[in-house]
Amino acid sequence: MPKGKRGEQAEELDLVPIMNLVTILIPFLLMASSFVSLAAIDSTLPAIGQPPETTTEDDEPPLNLSVAITDEGYTVMGNDDALSGEGEDKGAKIPCRKPGCPTPDSYDTKDLTRLLGEIKDRWSDSDEQNVILVPESQVPYEVLVLTMDATRNDPDTTEDGRPRELFPYVVIAGGIQ
Amino acid sequence: MGKKKGRRASVDAGLTITSMMDMMTIILVFLLKSYQTDDVSVAASEDLQIPISSAEKAPKLAVNVIVSRKDVVVDGTFVLDIERGINEETGEEELSIPADEKRGQLISKLYDVLLEKAQTSKEIGAKAGSDELDFKGEILLQVDKRMPFSVVREVMFTSGQAQFSNFRFVVIKGGPG
Repeated sequence: MPKGKRGEQAEELDLVPIMNLVTILIPFLLMASSFVSLAAIDSTLPAIGQPPETTTEDDEPPLNLSVAITDEGYTVMGNDDALSGEGEDKGAKIPCRKPGCPTPDSYDTKDLTRLLGEIKDRWSDSDEQNVILVPESQVPYEVLVLTMDATRNDPDTTEDGRPRELFPYVVIAGGIQ
Repeated sequence: MGKKKGRRASVDAGLTITSMMDMMTIILVFLLKSYQTDDVSVAASEDLQIPISSAEKAPKLAVNVIVSRKDVVVDGTFVLDIERGINEETGEEELSIPADEKRGQLISKLYDVLLEKAQTSKEIGAKAGSDELDFKGEILLQVDKRMPFSVVREVMFTSGQAQFSNFRFVVIKGGPG
């Protein structure tokens, strides 16, 4: 009988030290782990000073693409044929899906991406990558981020397996008071 | 009878830890997988909801400015409160920088803190003599998604005046793209 009992005991592993280790590791990892991954959007202030002199007279004027964000929607302006017009009609207007733009979702970012894609097609020869955002004072910050997403790339069109890049360099201007 | 009772008692005394070990091993592997040491961390709360964006770029360490619905914090140090008012026309809550904290668009207290940070950073850069530690004017902005652009603009203007002109807007990775 004693022999048999000793044999039974030898089969059992002593898991207590491992348990101790695991119990200490779990709270440590729980504290250190992050379940939300962060990203950053780069932007710079508009440059102050003299504009760079154009090298030749024949140079095309730069695109100077800018997107105004108001409580009525987007107004896209720049030296492109689609954005021509005078005075009040200047630029292409992309109205909100709901009047008054009550929520950030009501801004038509898809249409903005489509329009910028068309402009990018026409300006594919030049390396235009800048867009100036001009938001109104009361526009929530979330709309600004949504607009930056819409101008950066087009998720519906892919180039070399990646979303097509539109105008990734964002400059935020002082805005409309 | 007596023998039987004794044996049962000895079986009950040993805990079956195997199933618990299984569970702990799974938790351990999951936590090890989600373990990452980010340079930047966000303490999300009711007053600080970071917007979601399709941006991919990882945030790098820089001077960290948090603009929540309650206050403005630079590198963990409280700087000033945000004023909450009610818009008389719409009846909605309106967030702004208190008028007595501002000189025009400049937020005085924030400017003083950031200027000191810039000077310290420049001194460290000059002493270290390496490009990596040079002052590049980079600033991380964690802004609540409901913050109106007027507040963001004032914070950006103040940062620009204090020689921080390269902005990195911290966002949560996700969304289309």
